[in-house]
Amino acid sequence: MRPSRPVRIALHFANLLAIAFFLLPIATAAIGSLQSEKTLRADTRAVLPQEWTLDNFRVFLSRGAQSSASIYEQATYLPDNVKKIHYALGNSTVIAVSVTLLTLIFASLSAFTVARLHLRWLEWLMNVNVFARFVPIIVLMIPLYVTFRRLDLLNSVWGVIIAETGFLLPYGVLILAPYFAALPQELDEAARIDGCSRFTAFLRVTMPLSTPALASYGAIVFIIAWNDLLTPLILNNRAEFMTLPVVIASLVGDVHVFFSLMMAICLVAMAPSVILVLLLQKFVVRGLAAGAVKG
Amino acid sequence: MVVNLPTLVTLALVLAYPISYAAYLSFHRVALADLRRGVFPFVGFENYRRIFADPLFLLSLKNTLLFTAVSVGAEIVLAVAIALLISERSVWTGRATRVLILLPYAVPPIANGQIWAFLYSFDFGFLNRILFALGIIETPINWTGNPQTALLALTIPYIWRTLPFAILLIHAALEGIAPEVYEAAAIDGATAWQRFWHVTLPLLRPIIVVILVLRTSFAFTVFEEVLAITQGGPGDATWVAAWYSYRRSFAPPFDIGIGSASAYVLALVIGLLAVGYVKLIYRRIE
Repeated sequence: MRPSRPVRIALHFANLLAIAFFLLPIATAAIGSLQSEKTLRADTRAVLPQEWTLDNFRVFLSRGAQSSASIYEQATYLPDNVKKIHYALGNSTVIAVSVTLLTLIFASLSAFTVARLHLRWLEWLMNVNVFARFVPIIVLMIPLYVTFRRLDLLNSVWGVIIAETGFLLPYGVLILAPYFAALPQELDEAARIDGCSRFTAFLRVTMPLSTPALASYGAIVFIIAWNDLLTPLILNNRAEFMTLPVVIASLVGDVHVFFSLMMAICLVAMAPSVILVLLLQKFVVRGLAAGAVKG
Repeated sequence: MVVNLPTLVTLALVLAYPISYAAYLSFHRVALADLRRGVFPFVGFENYRRIFADPLFLLSLKNTLLFTAVSVGAEIVLAVAIALLISERSVWTGRATRVLILLPYAVPPIANGQIWAFLYSFDFGFLNRILFALGIIETPINWTGNPQTALLALTIPYIWRTLPFAILLIHAALEGIAPEVYEAAAIDGATAWQRFWHVTLPLLRPIIVVILVLRTSFAFTVFEEVLAITQGGPGDATWVAAWYSYRRSFAPPFDIGIGSASAYVLALVIGLLAVGYVKLIYRRIE
């Protein structure tokens, strides 16, 4: 049923409103980051700047050199966290990639047993995994801080990797177990008749067939790990071990970092996950739906 | 099973153990000096008594409830509207909307907070710039400086960031409704509104309940937007539960016992929602 012309015009208008709403913060960050602090301060009513510049993004290349400070004509001083922001870029990458790989391995092993072995405690494990999704990170972070402090795991990349891997595993079992269960069992039985062990059947048959589910879960874990603030914020407070979200949080209320530079940092901090979402949109959508509803 | 070991160990190490250890901490005095000594004296329910006697904690709980009610309510209405909008395939602009829907999901919450702090800025903000350009306002509006409206100003960035999830689930549910259902309703002479109210909405009810429970429990823990945009201010107007636990633990007075007790109150509320979710919803929808 094709809607009538006035209805279609109204729907176009509604779509434009929705598009404007979704793009508003992104466009704001982009316009803000592409001008100097001076331009942004000079005219407080202009939407678009008189002069465009890429200077704010140079902070990622300066590696703490004082020359970077000359970019900002008003700000002659930059906080240490900003000078060392290339560390944060590296830490964010190492942490998000490690957490994604570790959770993919552990969660698929666990999910496979939940899907194939019908043991009562595995059903219980599944319910624990659903329940675990609800536990607020702040509840976990306070005791983890006390424990990691004692284990000397504060201010390390490993501490964050361990914590985030644990937080995100349950979600993986939730997404992968129903997917594995839906694969025909005859396939791994055939592989076992041909001489595969249960484990090699899993590796050679189940895993290759599950690429879409692994991509869904991998993309979601990468995004959550890349974006996570509370875990690294509470565990790591030295500039060398911060991730990009922690650097952003550490600059809240800092008078030396103006909106223009801040927006450049925010855009770099969102780039990897935004690109991933645009490339793997289909998989992310499936993963989100599968995690919320069984089957 | 050996292959479950990594999962079980990590579950125990970073979920089961911290949950029980948080309970332990909440019944002990864990101030900065105790933390340095490594000895936490048992104080019974003292931490709980103190938080419930603290007007700031009660205000934080009240703000959290208000924030959650407004943001989750608005989110569900918006999600149903946008999901219906993008499922109308004869309108080509819907394709652009569909591509953009997932974008906010990828943005780090703290970056989202900073961007909105910029948007809302009284002197330099883009919201005022746009309204000036459109000729809607003459003097700048102080979006987050007013204690009456600051909490509401915080809901918009949060809704922006968490809307994709709700839209996706409702969109998927809409795709699952057989076209025959609508045809039958049309033959019976139902108007568009009647079709929505008597056919679509009842069929969406299960997924709306799922979204309601999940989003409510996540909105209870809102943190990043508060940190970036208002830091609890102006005054105490935007203190929320997670902010209270964080500030009590990791800012003066650095009292981890108080922080744990307040976080535990939050966990218990969310725990009730989670039990309801597992028992009533998660099993039924297959």
